[in-house]
Parts: sequence; C-alpha cells; structure tokens
Amino acid sequence: MRRLLALFTRATIATILFTTLFGCSRVDHKQSALDPKGLVSQNQYDVFMLSVWITIFLFCAVGGCLLYVLWKYRAKSKEEAMEIPPQSHGNSKIEASLILISALILVILAIPTLQGVVLMNRVPDANDEETLKKLNLDRSQIEGAITVNVTGKRFFWVFEYPQFGIVTANELVFPANKAVRINLRTEDVIHSFWVPKLAGKMDLMPGQENFMWFIADQEKILSGKPTTEAMPSVFDGKMRQTVFAKQKFSDEFEPVGGLFYGQCAEFCGNSHAYMSFRALAQTDQDFDSWVKRFQNSQNPNLQPSAYNPEEMYNQGAIVTFADKSLGEQAQREYRSTKKIAKAEAPNLSEKSWIKAHSDDYELGKQLFSSLQCVQCHAVNRTGIGAKGPNLTLYGLRTSLAAGWMRNDEKSLSTWLRNSNEVKFGNLMWNGEGVDDTHPLRQLENDDEKVNQLIAYLLGQI
Amino acid sequence: MATESIDYASPETKSKVETKVFPRPGQHVTGIVDWLTTIDHKKIGLLYGLTALFFLLLGGIEALLIRSQLWSHNMEILTNRQYNQMFTMHGTTMVFLVIMPLSAAFFNFIMPLQIGARDVAFPRMNTLSLWCFFAGGITLNLSWFFTGGAPAIGWFGYAPLTDTRFAEVMGDMGPDFWVFSLQILGIASLLASFNFITTIINMRAPGMTMMRLPVFTWMTLIVSFLIILAFPAITIALAELMFDRTYGTNFFDFLEGGKPHLWQHLFWIFGHPEVYILILPAMGIVSEIIPVFSRKPLFGYGLIIFSGAIIGFMGFAVWSHHMFTTGMGVVATSAFSILTMLIAIPTGIKIFNWIGTMWGGRIRFDTPMLFALGFITMFMIGGFTGIMHSSVPIDAQHQDSYFVVAHFHYVLIGGALFGLFAGFYFWLPKMSGRLMNEKLGKLVFTLMFIGFNVTFFPMHYLGMIGQPRRTHSYNEGHGFEAWNQIATIGAFVLGIGIAIGIYQFVSSFFNKKLKPAGKNPWDARTIEWTLSSPVKEYNFARTPIIKSRDQAWENNYGPKEKHAQQEALGDHGVHMPDHSWCPLVTALGLFVMVIGLLFRQTIEFAELFIATPYEIAIAGGSLFVLGIVMWALEGPGGYHLFPKETEE
Amino acid sequence: MSEATAHSIEHHEPETSTGIPNKKVLMWAFLGSDCMFFGTLISTHLIYRKISATVGSNYLDIRDLFDIELTSFSTFVLLASSLFMALAVSAIHKGNLTSTRWMLFGTIIFGGIFLACQVYEFTHFVHAPGNELTLSSYRGDPHVFGSTFYLLTGTHGTHVAIGVLWLVGWLIYSFTGRMSVSDAIDVECCGLYWHFVDIVWIIIFPVVYLMEYAF
Repeated sequence: MRRLLALFTRATIATILFTTLFGCSRVDHKQSALDPKGLVSQNQYDVFMLSVWITIFLFCAVGGCLLYVLWKYRAKSKEEAMEIPPQSHGNSKIEASLILISALILVILAIPTLQGVVLMNRVPDANDEETLKKLNLDRSQIEGAITVNVTGKRFFWVFEYPQFGIVTANELVFPANKAVRINLRTEDVIHSFWVPKLAGKMDLMPGQENFMWFIADQEKILSGKPTTEAMPSVFDGKMRQTVFAKQKFSDEFEPVGGLFYGQCAEFCGNSHAYMSFRALAQTDQDFDSWVKRFQNSQNPNLQPSAYNPEEMYNQGAIVTFADKSLGEQAQREYRSTKKIAKAEAPNLSEKSWIKAHSDDYELGKQLFSSLQCVQCHAVNRTGIGAKGPNLTLYGLRTSLAAGWMRNDEKSLSTWLRNSNEVKFGNLMWNGEGVDDTHPLRQLENDDEKVNQLIAYLLGQI
Repeated sequence: MATESIDYASPETKSKVETKVFPRPGQHVTGIVDWLTTIDHKKIGLLYGLTALFFLLLGGIEALLIRSQLWSHNMEILTNRQYNQMFTMHGTTMVFLVIMPLSAAFFNFIMPLQIGARDVAFPRMNTLSLWCFFAGGITLNLSWFFTGGAPAIGWFGYAPLTDTRFAEVMGDMGPDFWVFSLQILGIASLLASFNFITTIINMRAPGMTMMRLPVFTWMTLIVSFLIILAFPAITIALAELMFDRTYGTNFFDFLEGGKPHLWQHLFWIFGHPEVYILILPAMGIVSEIIPVFSRKPLFGYGLIIFSGAIIGFMGFAVWSHHMFTTGMGVVATSAFSILTMLIAIPTGIKIFNWIGTMWGGRIRFDTPMLFALGFITMFMIGGFTGIMHSSVPIDAQHQDSYFVVAHFHYVLIGGALFGLFAGFYFWLPKMSGRLMNEKLGKLVFTLMFIGFNVTFFPMHYLGMIGQPRRTHSYNEGHGFEAWNQIATIGAFVLGIGIAIGIYQFVSSFFNKKLKPAGKNPWDARTIEWTLSSPVKEYNFARTPIIKSRDQAWENNYGPKEKHAQQEALGDHGVHMPDHSWCPLVTALGLFVMVIGLLFRQTIEFAELFIATPYEIAIAGGSLFVLGIVMWALEGPGGYHLFPKETEE
Repeated sequence: MSEATAHSIEHHEPETSTGIPNKKVLMWAFLGSDCMFFGTLISTHLIYRKISATVGSNYLDIRDLFDIELTSFSTFVLLASSLFMALAVSAIHKGNLTSTRWMLFGTIIFGGIFLACQVYEFTHFVHAPGNELTLSSYRGDPHVFGSTFYLLTGTHGTHVAIGVLWLVGWLIYSFTGRMSVSDAIDVECCGLYWHFVDIVWIIIFPVVYLMEYAF
C-alpha cells in the first residue's frame, strides 16, 4: 500500500518537475505564442497566463486536497481495510460553497476573455482616445493602418495590398508601427492564418470574408538592437542578407526580430504541413520604399518596351532591343548609361546602352515562358487569380516554397529539379495539366536550364 | 453462501413456447453458432469489448506510426498523404470504434445487472446493434484497399475538403467509406440507446426507484439520451455530404451557394455532446469504484447525477466553441465562451464529490482504484486546459495546435480510457469469474500513467511554441524535435502498457491458474455483486426486491429491514428467449447494401463475380428486408429454466 | 399462433416499472430522436432558403413552380389518414377485427394518395419546362433550394412510405387469422409513428410551402 502511495506521489512530483522544466526552457522559438511581439498576441498571452495561474492554483488546491485525503484515510493494514467507516452521504453546505467558489473563479477569467474578444475582432476607433490610451497606442498608428487581403490557396498565400495596388505571395511585408487589417478569403478549402507572435489564428472560410488585425510592437522587435540588425530593410535585400547570415536552418535558431513565422493551421489537404509563410516587419520608411519598388515593378506602364526613336530616355532607363544571339525574335533589356535624346540612334557598342542583365538571366526569362511557368506565376504584374505564387521581386524573398526552404541558389536548384521530392503533392508538380510530358518535369538533369532559371528568378531584385 | 444449481427444462417439454414459421436455434447451441446468434446481453457486452480492444490496438498502431513520423524534422516514414490517412483513421477509430463500444460493452454487461433485470428490453435489437457496429468497423477499414486508400480528411471531415472537387486522388473513395461507416455506426449506437433507455426506464427490479439506481446506470441513461438526440445531426450532415458527393447537390459546395459553415455547425452539434458521450460512462465507472475502495457511500449522490444530467444538457449548448476561429462574430463567440465556462462547474462538482467520498474512508489501492485516481488527476488537467480553451483569446492561439491535441488526449485517454480500464479491472472478475493478477495490473497502470504523461504533457508546450496539428512534418529550427522525441518514447511506453493490459483482460478468461473471484471480491456495494461470477445466463434466479441504494452493501452490513428480499419464482420459472439468426442476417444485408451504394463502377472479383453496384445494393437491401420479415415472424420463442436457489 | 400460446406469451410479458409497455417507450424514444432528424433538416432548409435566392442570375421565385392547391389537398389527405389510424388502434383494442381491417385499409389508401401526390409533384418539378427544380439547380442556375427541398420532403416521404409498408404488413397479417388483442400494442406503436409523421408534415408544409408566400 505504502509503496503504491509513494509511487503515486512520485508520479505527481514528476509532473510538477515537468512543469518546472518547461518554465525554464526557451520560449522565443520561431513560431512561439509564448513570445508575443504585438498588441493582440500580448493580450492573448496575458489572458493565457492568467488562466495558467488560476488552473495551477486550482490544481494545487484540489490535487493537494486529494493527496491529503489519500494519505490520511489510506487503509494501513488488512484489518483496517475491512473496517466500516461512518457512512455519510453528503453535505449540502460544503457543496454549495464549492459551487459558488468555482463560479467566482470563472468570473475572474470571463472578464478579460470578453475584453479580449472585442480587441481581437475590432480595430480600436482612432477617435476613441480613452481606449487608445489604455492600449498605449498612438492615433497615427490606427489612422495609418494598412489593409492586406489574404487569399489562401492550396498550398500557398497571396497577399494583396488594395491601398497600393500591389500583390505578393508567401511573405507579408508590413510596417511595424501601424495597425494591419487582414481580410481573409480562400479560393478552395478552409485554411487558417496564424502568426503566433503577432496574433492568434483566424480561419479562411470559403464563401465568406473573415477579418482579423494585428499591430506589432516596434520596441519589442528591436529589443535594444539597432534597426539594421533587428529589422533590416526588405526593399534593398538587406533583410535577406541578414536572415541568411544569422538564421541557419538548424536547431540553433537566432531570431531576427522583424522576421515572423506563420503557418496554415487548418488541415487543407496532402501538403497542409508545407503551407507556411513569413511576415516581415519594417520601419515606416523602409515599408514605403518597398511599396514604391513594388508599385514600379508591377506598373504595366513602366515595363521595358522596345526602343522608340521618337522618345527621350533618362539615364538608367530600360528598353529592349532584338538580340539574335539569344534566339530568333528574342529581345534583350538594355539600360541607358546617359541621357538619350530623341532619335539618337541606338549605339550598343558605344556604351550608351549596356546589357541590363546577364545572358543567363535573359535565357532564363525565355525559359520561364517556354517552360510554361508564366501560365501560373506572375512576374512584374499583379496577376490576380494566377494559379501559383506571384514572383515579382522574387530575389528579395527570404524563403522559397511557401516558407519551407531558404531562398538561395542551392535550394532553388533542388526545388526546380524535383519539387515533388521537397513538397510531396505540391500543385506545381501535380496540378491540373501537369504530367510526365510537361517541360517542368524534364528539368531534373538539365543543369544549364536550371541555372538559367535560377539566374532569372534570383535576378528579380 | 450456498451455490446455485440449475435444472434445465427438457427442450421437449410443453413449456417451450415457439412459433414454427422460422425455427430459432434453441438453448443448446454451442460454439461459434452460439456466439453468432446470441441475444444474451452479457455475451454481447463481451463481444463489444473484445472487438473494441482489437480496434484499440489498431488505432494504437496508427498512433505509433504518427508519433514515429514526428520523431524529428522532415521524417519520411510516412508520406504526407499516408500521415493524413493515419490521423483520420486514428481519430475515427478511437472515437467510434474504441471508446464508444467499450462504453457500450459495460452498458450491455453491467447495466441490466445493476437494475436487477434478466436482459435488456429488446435482446434481438441489442444483437443487431452489435453486428451493425461490426459492419461499420469493417466498412471503415475496408477503405484502405480501394481507390485513394483510407480517407484523408480528418475525423471531422470539414467541408469543402470532402467535396469531390477537391479530391487529391482521382475518384478517391476514402470519404465515401468514411460517410457510410459512420452511418452504420450511427444506426448501431441509436438502436443500442433506444434499448438502454427502455431497459432502464422499464425493467428495474421492484423497489429500484430512479434515485436508487447506481450512478453508472444513471450515466448510461444520460449517455443514451445524448446519443439519440445528438446522432441525428451527424446522420443528416453525412446524408447531405453523401448527396453532395454522389448526386451533385449543393449543401456544402460554396461555389454554388452552399455553406461549409453549416457542416461545422452540424458536425459539432453532434460532436460536442459526443465528447460527453465518451466521458460520462467513465465518470459513471469511477463513481462506482471510489465508494467501493473507500468503503463509503458516494458523497452527494443526487448532485453527481444532477451534474451529469446538466453536463449532458449543456453539452448541446456549447458546440460552437469548436469554431471560435471561423469568424462567427463578437456576440456569438462571447456567448459560447461564457456557456462553455459554465460547464466547468458541474464537472468540478463531480471531482469535489469523489474527494468527499474518500474523505473519512478506508482507502485501498487496488488496480481499479489506481486507475480511478489516475482518471481524476488526468481528467482534472484535461478539464483545466478545457477551461483555457473556453476563453476565446486563448483559443485563438491554441486552436489546431498541439496544445489542443494534449487537451483532448488528457480527456479521452487520461479520462475516458483510464476510466474504462478501471472498469475492466473492477468488473472483469464478474465477467470471467477469475481475479486478475494485481501485480501485473499495477504494472499496467504504472506504464500507462507514466507513458501517457510523458507523451502528452510535452504537447502543451509544443503547441505553445507553435507546432500545428495535422501536419505530417515540420521544418528545422523550430525547436520541436526534443519534445517530440520525448512524446514518441512516451507513446511507446503507453502502447506497451495498453498491450499488456489487453493481454491481461483476454487471458483472464482462459488462464485457469487465476484465483476464482467469488461473488463479491471487492466487497462492493451494488447488486451485480450479489450474483455468482461469472454471471449465470439468467442473471437473477429470483428477482430481488430492492430496499436501498447500495443493496449489496446493505445486505452484508445494513440493518435487517434494508436487506433485499426476493420474488418467488412463478410456475413457469425463468423465461429465457431463444437465440436468433435474424439480427446477423439483417446487419449483413445492411453491410452488403452499403458496399453496393459505395461503389460507382462495376465490381469484378477475380472473374468469378461481376456485378454492378446497383445489383449488389439491391441484393443487400433484399437481405436486409428478409432479415426484418423473418424477425417479425419468428415469434418470441424461448424456454424455461427453474434455477434452484438456496438462500444465504 | 394458437390462442393458447398467445395467452402464454401474454402471461410472460413482464410487468414494467412504469406500467407503460416496453415497445411504447421504445417508440417514444425513437420519435424523440426522429424529431432531431427533422429538426436538422428543417433548419438546414431555413438557413438556405434565403441564401439560395441570392446566388445565380435568376431571382428565385419558387411560387412559379409550387402548386399550392395540390399540396394543400395532399396535406388534408394525410391529416385525414390520422383519423383512420386512430380508429384502427381503437378498434383493435376492442378486439373488433373487421373494423380494424377497414380502418387500416383506409389509412393505407390515404397514405398512398399522399405519396402519389408527392411523386407527381416531384416529377412535375423536375421536368417543369424552363422552370426545372433539380437537386442542384433551379431554372438551370446552381441553387441550394432544390437540395434542401428534395432531401427534406423526400425524407418525410420515405417515412410515409415505410409507414404504409408497415400498415400493409398489418393488413396482410389480419387475414392470417393470427391477429388478436395482444397485437394491439404493436398496432398502437405503428399508430404513434403514423401520427408523428403527420405532425411533422404539419410543420414542413408551412415551413417549406406556405412560408414562400408569406416572406
């Protein structure tokens, strides 16, 4: 009897030890809800910790009571085990007071819960100064809010910025200091948008638009480090460099404050596990620059066109000339090195126009069309409704394959050669109309084409 | 104590009442025919239990495969589709083919004994439930062998993932198998519940008033009501899904006006009461065991029953807390959040009362008691995390993460399964007539308790650091590996514990070396313990006249006026019903019909057998109707027994 | 079955705790469950009724298709059949076999008329030129109305059909000479079922048909 009791006690102690262990281990993992970096997630974390303390208290109280009873009233001998204790049937006063106490404890949790529901679902009114003060927010943070329309597709994410007329995929760039309104839609099955460090999840329901919002906390993201280190700019590729330098894809993770990891949290099919994404926080300035770059890249009027003698070109302008060396009817992009006057004949040898990109890039660009990549992927256009992720300014991205791999030559090469090996069941390899005769599936051993495609894709900067 | 002896009436005597339209197998059938045609609630209970334990092993293997796949990042033990099939089948199996039938095993075996009845109200219908459960289990697991393999849609089958439009394998039949097997299992549960309700309301021994019913019987009644009120919702939802898949209706097709939301509502209107359908039987078992091993009556009997009923009733009012993240709006989420918190109160009451029962008792730590105590502690943890989830802001982070996985395994393994194992260790001596090895039992408990906690406690943490559910793989650098490895090790320990437990249960029926149990090995309190172990086929030689709540206890220790009396045996003795083939034929017909309805193209089997699905469905349907007609015409049948009983 | 055995069975019919026969309790439990079946179907229909109207280019005016006179007539017939059913139950309790037989026959005929109306209605709806209401579309546009309409009324029709088959079974049985007062409880259960199916139609008729004229 005694041994058993000891065993039972030991098991309980082991449980408590477990809890302590967890308390000591790290919580700033890439996708940790225990390391909130935004207003909404902080609120959710606070309510969670409140509930943790309440339940630990209850567990100790009730569990302690149970242990006491088990110890005090254990049958110490065979004889005692056959004794007949007083046969009491209950005590209504004790019962009633216990019910009352449990109801009161629930009220403690219910109040912050209701406040949290409102906070999650509604961006505070910019004119409601009292609330803003309570939340420690500035009026401009609400007024300057950006809106992102998130569309979930199997198995990647489309991020559309209706205010700016731009579309990107799998990496959500947002200003750290401003509220971000998220409208959630899906074109196929149910997905769920979850960036644990910024906010709890919200489902993307077919035939319905859901709403959530978050606002990051710039101070927490920086946590004393300079901006260039904790929140490097995306538009000029600094973010990508910093992430690559610091963040190895290994167990040793060192967080870059401005980089957040997200994940689809509702089972959506074979490759559900691979449907992750990233959110990149930016200073207001860097965000504006990023938006500018994107707007220029996706502006149909700013795309390079064939040289027109009737026009005047500024230094750095890009036009296309025919280039037979790349193939019949091939066009190549040239950049002007100086101001070019009207009808000034193009003189490619005189260095007034230089090649804008390497040969590999140009060949890759052609491959991108001839291998039918363009049918699903939009580059330098918004391409709403495209089947695959938008690849505009792809060279600035930190990740590949919906946040699954690091976006470098090596991973890209693995991915292009056989994406099914990386993400079994992905729709680039298995989608409608893709079979063994599809040119995409012939890339496995074609180093030349793969390298050209890589040059083209990573050249999108 | 005197022994009972039976005097069989000769089958040729006049007392044999039987109509000759369809002869029924008599009382002398043995072996396989006996088990196939039995209508004895005890044998049905054993068959339920045995089958469910088999499925527990099957579901357990699926779970271990899942755990192995998650051992480290980017593992390739299973492909993603296989993994998705595993967790779908694991969930469906454990809910519908393990916990529910294990509860049904106890309902069948114990409940009639506890109310002093000789059988359930409709013995043949009871057999039909059993065979429908069999057919459902087989149908579900047949899916592995056909196009697309097992369903990969999750046990919740959220629309529109189940729509043929989004099938990831051409002509995927997995969801069809899933739909039809759940329908058959629904029939099994409904029939059994109608039966139990009628039995408890109508077949109580004289003096067994409702407020003298043992708590387990009360929980049986409440669960049966939950089943008959909750299952229609899923039956209709599944029918709508079947129509969507087969006939192109638009119930859940959002491109043509349907609403995937509706599926979630219908599923959880069933699904949340289902949670209580799974846990209340275990609570009933624990409420039986704790008084016995504390040698005190249940503290607050009325309140425990009342809170059970409240839990069941409120279970219908909180379903949307499974859908907090689907965008239901501020008002709906807040309302469901508060209602869900309220459910914690009746649940808490039960725990207080169990502790109150032990207070001042003489507590013995035999294996059933250990499992019951394990139940209380583990269920408490599961309940506490449940309170966390009732809060919407917390749920927004927890939903579909491993935290939720930890939560419901604490409730369903630490709760339901520990409770059911406690029931096995408690009542198996009554079923098999032999006491089990206590040492082995305690080993099983230790392995299960430790294995379980090592598996599932780290999952709370994994969920909080961002591991989502239902993902077959995770990337490097998330820090998930270590805790997943601990969980996997724990899962294997738990698996070994359960396997030894199952071995012990099954072997106790065959191992002749075990000590005989006697009538009342635990000095227990309810009237099933006044019967010999194993229980005779007629249960009670003389129907007892009940005088108090803990009748077996009062018989031994109570004042004279509280001792049970016994009804005189009438001229005809005990009327025993005959065996019957009809339930088996009917269930077989249903099974064949469903298989026919499942397929869309001609079925060829080794060139011996070629049939269109319609032909098979019609053949099955005919067999089904034939079974029912035979059933109606075969008459009650039966024979009479004159058990001699000497009073103690 | 001879009188003697029937008597002996009756003798063995155990007394129940509540005094209500087991079969009746079973039937009530089943009907309670059936309420939830129809509850689910009716709420599905109510949820989708308005939504379907907004999908597709054609405004859904199902009144163009409904033939309310015919449906009212079949409703009346079904309600009237309940009277026959009640009389049949009363007759068998009194042991009047001839009357039971006729009343059962009347119930079957009226139930049959209702079913015939429904079959006519369904065929008419599916084939109405330019106005087809199929399982998945109305006037050629995707709609949910057809889905919920056919599933709800079809489930009810199936209930009626099962009831009619059950009654036909009793009618045949009444000619075998085995029917006796001891079967009254079984006929009564059949009656309970029949009345329930009627009551459900009293809810379905306004919810599915009349409501289209009101809101």
